[in-house]
Amino acid sequence: MPQTAPNTEKIDEHLLEVVQALHGAVKRGIPNVKDPKIADKAIQDCKEILDVIMEGKVSEWLN
Amino acid sequence: MFTDKIELKDFDKMDPEYKDLLGRVLTIQADCEIGGPHLYVETMLPAAPTKLDQLIVARTAAEEIDHYRKVAHVAGDIGVDTSFVLSQPNEKRFVDTFRGLITTWEDNAVFGFLIDRVGRYQLEEFYDCSYLPLQRILPDIVTEELGHIEYGYNKTLELIEKGDEGKAKAQKAVDYWYVRALDMFGRSGSKRAERYLYWGLKRRANEQARQDYINEVNPILEKMGLKVPDPLKGRRYM
Repeated sequence: MPQTAPNTEKIDEHLLEVVQALHGAVKRGIPNVKDPKIADKAIQDCKEILDVIMEGKVSEWLN
Repeated sequence: MFTDKIELKDFDKMDPEYKDLLGRVLTIQADCEIGGPHLYVETMLPAAPTKLDQLIVARTAAEEIDHYRKVAHVAGDIGVDTSFVLSQPNEKRFVDTFRGLITTWEDNAVFGFLIDRVGRYQLEEFYDCSYLPLQRILPDIVTEELGHIEYGYNKTLELIEKGDEGKAKAQKAVDYWYVRALDMFGRSGSKRAERYLYWGLKRRANEQARQDYINEVNPILEKMGLKVPDPLKGRRYM
């Protein structure tokens, strides 16, 4: 078997959590798009999660 | 032609060229998956026209991040670390299309309609490919890409239906992305593409995949009332 690249499992687990959190926020928001309070909070939650991923500081995610 | 099917446990026994090509194609695929959100999240999440669109932008990004995760895991299992693409700037992306920033809603719509469609073509290259762990992750990824293409198509159509101004915006975006989409298939007659075919890692030559894309997209553009851009103007890879 080939040697697995470092942090493969850790990055996978972290990103899976991120994806699930994003889907959770989207699922809260979409049925409530006419309720600004709920929809805005869902969008803000998505933004905060995505900002971290877009920043790409992988070493920080793993600590 | 290589016709065997390979599992992870067989990888060490494979020819160095096979290992190199598989690692390369997985790295590029991972880069393209994460490259999409880096083009539009910062600009389109706050600027999408409705709250529903904002949430769909977030959902699309979530799905692309998940595609990266799946491809990166297949790469990681053969010892190829693709994590550097999570932090590299857009201008260093492997594929030119991902080196800019999407700044308008019409570009975001047409990007989904035309560029995610190229993404679907690239993934379809791996259908029935020789590396089974890659083949197994495809169905869910392709299903989600189909959703992105449909959303992009619907949003482009919405723009066109708004009247002359919307149609002009959509045409301008199509003019910009169409040639980039064609370039994404790579050079015709590429020697490396021939080796991908030989090893059963891809199923079509670059020029064949590009022609199939043209045959699919041009009638859709015409039906939408848009002009098909000159397929040669502004191209970098012929």
